Amino acid sequence: MNCDFVLTVCPFCGCGCQLYLEVMDGELTGVLPCKTDEMSEGKPCIKGRNAADFISHPDRLKSPLVKRKGKFEPASWEEALDIVGSQLSKIKQKYGPDSIGILSSAKCTNEENFLLMKFARAVIGTNNVDHCARLCHASTVVGLVKAFGSGAMTNSVPEIEGADCVFVIGSNTMEQHPLISLRVLRAKERGAKLIVADPRRTPLVDFADIYLQHKPGTDVALINGLMHVIVRDGLEDKKFIRERTEGFEELEKKIKEYPPEKVSRVTGVDAADLEKAARFYGEAEKASILYAMGITQHTTGTENVLSVANLAMLTGNVGRESTGVNPLRGQNNVQGACDMGALPDVYSGYQRVNDKEARARFEKAWGVALPQKPGLTVTEMTDAAIDGSLKAMYIMGENPALSDPDINHLKKALGSLDFLVVQDIFLSEAAQFAHVVLPACSFAEKEGTFTATDRRVQRVRKAIEPIGDSKPDWIIVSELARRMGGTQFNYTSPGEIMKEIASLTPSYAGISYERLDNGKVLAWPCPSQEHPGTRFLHSNVFTRGRGQFFAIDYKEPAELPDKEYPFLLTTGRLMFQYHTGTMTRRIPALERELPTGFVEINRKDAKKLSISQGERIRVKSRRGEIEIQAFVTDGILPGVVFIPFHFAECAANVLTSRNVDPEAKIPEFKVCAVKIYKDDKHG
Amino acid sequence: MEKQNGNGKVGAVLVVGGGIGGIQAALDLAESGYYVYLLEKSPSIGGVMAQLDKTFPTNDCSMCILSPKLVEAGRHLNIQLITNAELEEVSGEEGNFRVKILKKPRYVDIDKCTGCGLCAQSDLTSLKEKEEELWVDRIVVDEASCIQCGECTEACLEENKENHAMTNTALERRRFIELPPEQRGEREPETLAQKVALMDEESRKNFWQSELSRCIKCFGCRDACPVWIYDGAELEDPDWIKPGEIPPAVPLFQIIRAYRIANLCVNCGMCEEACPMDIPLRTIHQLMWRQSPESVFEVIPGLDRKTKQKLIKKVKENPMVKVETAR
Repeated sequence: MNCDFVLTVCPFCGCGCQLYLEVMDGELTGVLPCKTDEMSEGKPCIKGRNAADFISHPDRLKSPLVKRKGKFEPASWEEALDIVGSQLSKIKQKYGPDSIGILSSAKCTNEENFLLMKFARAVIGTNNVDHCARLCHASTVVGLVKAFGSGAMTNSVPEIEGADCVFVIGSNTMEQHPLISLRVLRAKERGAKLIVADPRRTPLVDFADIYLQHKPGTDVALINGLMHVIVRDGLEDKKFIRERTEGFEELEKKIKEYPPEKVSRVTGVDAADLEKAARFYGEAEKASILYAMGITQHTTGTENVLSVANLAMLTGNVGRESTGVNPLRGQNNVQGACDMGALPDVYSGYQRVNDKEARARFEKAWGVALPQKPGLTVTEMTDAAIDGSLKAMYIMGENPALSDPDINHLKKALGSLDFLVVQDIFLSEAAQFAHVVLPACSFAEKEGTFTATDRRVQRVRKAIEPIGDSKPDWIIVSELARRMGGTQFNYTSPGEIMKEIASLTPSYAGISYERLDNGKVLAWPCPSQEHPGTRFLHSNVFTRGRGQFFAIDYKEPAELPDKEYPFLLTTGRLMFQYHTGTMTRRIPALERELPTGFVEINRKDAKKLSISQGERIRVKSRRGEIEIQAFVTDGILPGVVFIPFHFAECAANVLTSRNVDPEAKIPEFKVCAVKIYKDDKHG
Repeated sequence: MEKQNGNGKVGAVLVVGGGIGGIQAALDLAESGYYVYLLEKSPSIGGVMAQLDKTFPTNDCSMCILSPKLVEAGRHLNIQLITNAELEEVSGEEGNFRVKILKKPRYVDIDKCTGCGLCAQSDLTSLKEKEEELWVDRIVVDEASCIQCGECTEACLEENKENHAMTNTALERRRFIELPPEQRGEREPETLAQKVALMDEESRKNFWQSELSRCIKCFGCRDACPVWIYDGAELEDPDWIKPGEIPPAVPLFQIIRAYRIANLCVNCGMCEEACPMDIPLRTIHQLMWRQSPESVFEVIPGLDRKTKQKLIKKVKENPMVKVETAR
């Protein structure tokens, strides 16, 4: 009997907890917490504890599938890759490279994202490469780059413990990032003030000193109101504003228009609470802001992010320990996928594709001419597929058929493609539409690195041999690239890809497998082999030089409730499931906790519509309707309903709207108008 | 270290470290007429050699070499042992040093202790007994893990009623919770368990309410527990604990868990270590340590009577946990 413990990284949220996978005679038997891990301290949450349970699930794809006469048939790798290679080449020749769209994956390793990005740009010749960051933190990347020059979490997670005030807005931290909420609670135990702003009463609210229950989509007004009080009471950091920022005059003028009474009318938050919160935040020596989807998933997502950045800069809470603007990334490697340039407008390390120098560097390294026009985003690809300009898609490890807004529209788009390849570990909802399905490996079967939310790069290690005939994504992509004429795809291990990443990406230049394997915790930017990594950004100077203030006006969300659709729908995640559930719905311990979705509705509304607890009701929007059971609660504002988006049988994204933020192109998952009725009276 | 002799040199020597090297040095020095202070960090001298079976290169039995030296060092009139102590600072110059030594509390009077070892047998969680360190003063109360259960002092009293070796501090520490308020004097409770034990029911209820509502139902406390044997229990039964709810029913979830292992718990603290929300779960078990399983309901108040009865009935069906017998 041979027993082994393999140190790797949890494949769920962005916390990036290290875990040991327990391997007995080549079979995965369980998960052991890693006590020396700085992030989890040997205390993973329920998802991490059960992370091994989906890997050997019988539903795993074990051989390539090719659709013939509407049915999937198993095929050999040779056959499947030949079909994919020849079809993609044909479409590229006939309609040009920009008729192909590539979706990369925040679930895959940095190396694989880099490789797929390279495949799209160097082999296909298009910048149409994007991934699900578009749906979660695209506005963060755009917004924080505009304000600070770098679109990532400014501080590291353990630092939160040292803050004197923690302001959590639009983040269900306790359920989505349990190990980060531990830090928040520890800060609170030390005497820090905790402010939570959320339309939905999340578990963290029970510990808050002040709870601001604002209406969905009024974040800009709320933050402007906070800044108004801070400036009125003279709590701003004048020295910081003078020495490190620019554009304060316009902001000052703008926030004068947001006195607490007006903000109270717009947001529904009590003016006294607002003033108290502003004082807590303004007076704190070290104040930290945590935010997530509640800020970003709006048509004003970028403006929300800029407002958050304004608030932090106004009080000088950037560039010091335990302060900062901290977007909590939802996926294990969404930070890494962005860093690796799986985005339509940048190469790895956020080097812009329309920057001549950057392009020249990549062209020289890869030996091909690269396209210079930024490509299509996820949301634009769907539209392009429907209007016929996008002919083929290659989807690696993503399930847009549940995660994208307005699923019916998306399914129509996937259905109208000439050729669709899906590379995944399970036959996901999106894979049903594919012409060819390629079986990939889970995190336990391959080597690589993940980048956690606070920019920590950590090693993922192979614990078991690939299940069935599946192959690691990096092998599939490089084999396909070689077939399509890619010359520089002869990698023997992910370590080689990492070397290439380091040579082309300044912020990753000092990161190598040798250093990571020696137990180093490296957070980028890490520009050289000797560099110890960066715990917090912008310490003496902002990445862009000076921090930029933006004067921002409150705008209403794109689709508000009206007579016909009187309820405001907001969506989100829950503790026991994860995203589209491809993994968590195959873990018995999690599925037992939360087997299906529900719609949270306020007690008063439920009474008006005579809806009882657990009753099955129908929710309809302009785009579609679903049947779902009701969960009557006081934790949500009257007139607002909440549906988790994990469940295919009652998918919240059937209802959500395709309205996007004009800059970041992030859809407004958090606000759309719906109506609710019982089955008996259609209405 | 002020003993002067004829040649003007200061005549006492401090040997730091009571391993075989330190012991031999101390013996040699003592034999040549110096007064030796032998300083050792751990509770007893002997060091690593005491843990070895054979020595290189002669394959001699290491204890055969070491133990006569241990005895000699312990009895030598020119050697004074300072165990369980650490060197904090050294000042002065060659020939005239002054040192500052931190002596850690042992809670055992080594002049009275006979080394019977009954105290250690009574409670393995708080007393350090290293089998390989054969020396009279081997018993020490490890403060970090002492839960003030008092078993050790009781065992010591039983063995030797006249000459109680556990010091009064140890006795007081353990009796603190049991003292009536007027006798506690000015002293404040030291550990969380003591603080909670001294709360009235209302504030204890509030305390647990706020601590337990952090729970994110990761089942870490249960999964990490070495004595959890009962599976398919109420924790996963929707009639008891509603699935998918965060925090799970407070305090029912933790009462069920604590009650299930009430008289199996060895107080290892794994539950608390596994908790991603830093809930002081171990305190629950420290408080339950010497009482009947029903004491869970006093330790974590807030459960209604009907649920209590239902739970007791349910637990009685499980032969692994004996509800009737108090510890």
